[in-house]
Amino acid sequence: MIDRRHILTLTALGLMAAPLLAMAQSTDKAASFVKSTGDKLVAVVNGPGSVGSKRAAMTQIIDTDVDVDGIGRFCLGRYWKLATPDQQKQYLTLFHGVLVTNITAKLGEYQGVKFTMGRSKAQDEEAVVSTTVERPNNAPTAVDWIIANPSADPKIIDVVAEGTSLRLTQRQDYGSYLTHNNNDINALIAAMKNQLSQSG
Amino acid sequence: MRSYLCPRVTFFGTQRLLLPLVAAIALCTSGCATRPPADDPDAIADFEQTNDPLEPTNRVFYAINNGLDTVILRPLALGYRAVVPGPVREGVHNVLANLGSPVVLGNDILSGKPRRAGDTTMRFLINTTAGVLGIFDVATKWGYKDHDADFGMTMANWGVPEGPFLFLPVLGPTDPRDAAGFGVDIAMDPFTWVGPPSSTGLTVFKWTRYGLNAVDSRERFLDPIDQIKKTALDPYATFRSLFRQHRHAQIEELRNDHRATVPVWFSQPAATPSEH
Repeated sequence: MIDRRHILTLTALGLMAAPLLAMAQSTDKAASFVKSTGDKLVAVVNGPGSVGSKRAAMTQIIDTDVDVDGIGRFCLGRYWKLATPDQQKQYLTLFHGVLVTNITAKLGEYQGVKFTMGRSKAQDEEAVVSTTVERPNNAPTAVDWIIANPSADPKIIDVVAEGTSLRLTQRQDYGSYLTHNNNDINALIAAMKNQLSQSG
Repeated sequence: MRSYLCPRVTFFGTQRLLLPLVAAIALCTSGCATRPPADDPDAIADFEQTNDPLEPTNRVFYAINNGLDTVILRPLALGYRAVVPGPVREGVHNVLANLGSPVVLGNDILSGKPRRAGDTTMRFLINTTAGVLGIFDVATKWGYKDHDADFGMTMANWGVPEGPFLFLPVLGPTDPRDAAGFGVDIAMDPFTWVGPPSSTGLTVFKWTRYGLNAVDSRERFLDPIDQIKKTALDPYATFRSLFRQHRHAQIEELRNDHRATVPVWFSQPAATPSEH
């Protein structure tokens, strides 16, 4: 028998469950997004083709699935506001180049890579998807993917390997460089240009 | 709680380690990082987050360590990788990890984590026997996974703060809590105390173990360290950031290990009272 009190309880439960359900759906979406991006990356790394073609394929995946501009802004930290619009533009272009070269430089090392999906959870507006990455002759690594806008337009905004965040480490690298170069953003831009030209 | 714990940190004769620490603090009078002016709150927030007041001194030790690494440890690790085949290196690594079990077990107990202590005990028993003196990590396949434990983590779990960042000769990136913890781990290690001190065989064993440990861990980090030195604009700052983040993650994992100690064969009490 369902009486009025039960209906009230059920409604209350339903109201509480609605946001929970939405959250569960968005983490599910984030998980399937990470799965598909991961599959694409693994296919490129382990697939046939020249280094050049692999690099092009990687760049394409990074452009569509990673919020490179958002990560770039994060990595500049408090200096972002201090930079002129022109410096911001130059910096973001260079940042994109540096990110792509740093990732594609490791292509050879990752030959034979595999990954398994773990749990995913909501964290503020973002979703955290845990995976385990395995490479031959290496201990399995716990890698968390931080996904922004998980339900609408999912994009990777950070990769956390064994507790170390890629973007936080990069931010502290840039921050320290700027502190030791009179907070001069042009010095950072010059250093990044130099880095890109050296890696060819 | 803290004032009670602090005297214990310096217990177990860690003077040898405290000496460079004291030297670093003494040097600080000439080599302290300058605090940004008070009218720049963003810069101050950055400065405090970096938590590296001894930075100029730390950078000197980083340069020294880096130089020693370039001429000694890195070539040794490269040679080790070139000469010794992968599966043999894996076996050596497993034996070294197995020899470290007593210290891990001690810290599991001191951290109040019975399930971790159980894992370590089972790992040691299985790998020493079925794993042929620790060469093969059979325990992982049987469900007893490896975990990190040291006295720095134990103290962190007790609530001892890490203190400022330190870069020490030989030890590398650390902080006062973890440097003291390193000394306590040596004191906690039964191999430090076994046998007559005059025994040549034992001395050789101890130093071989220290040496192999250094070469083994350096070999495992060859690629990432090379990569960081190539891609970071400020490798010192990058290593500092990575060390801290990794340390915090290890401590967080230890704190969040709330696995129950109820044996599987123990009949569980009903979760909810039955309804009428």
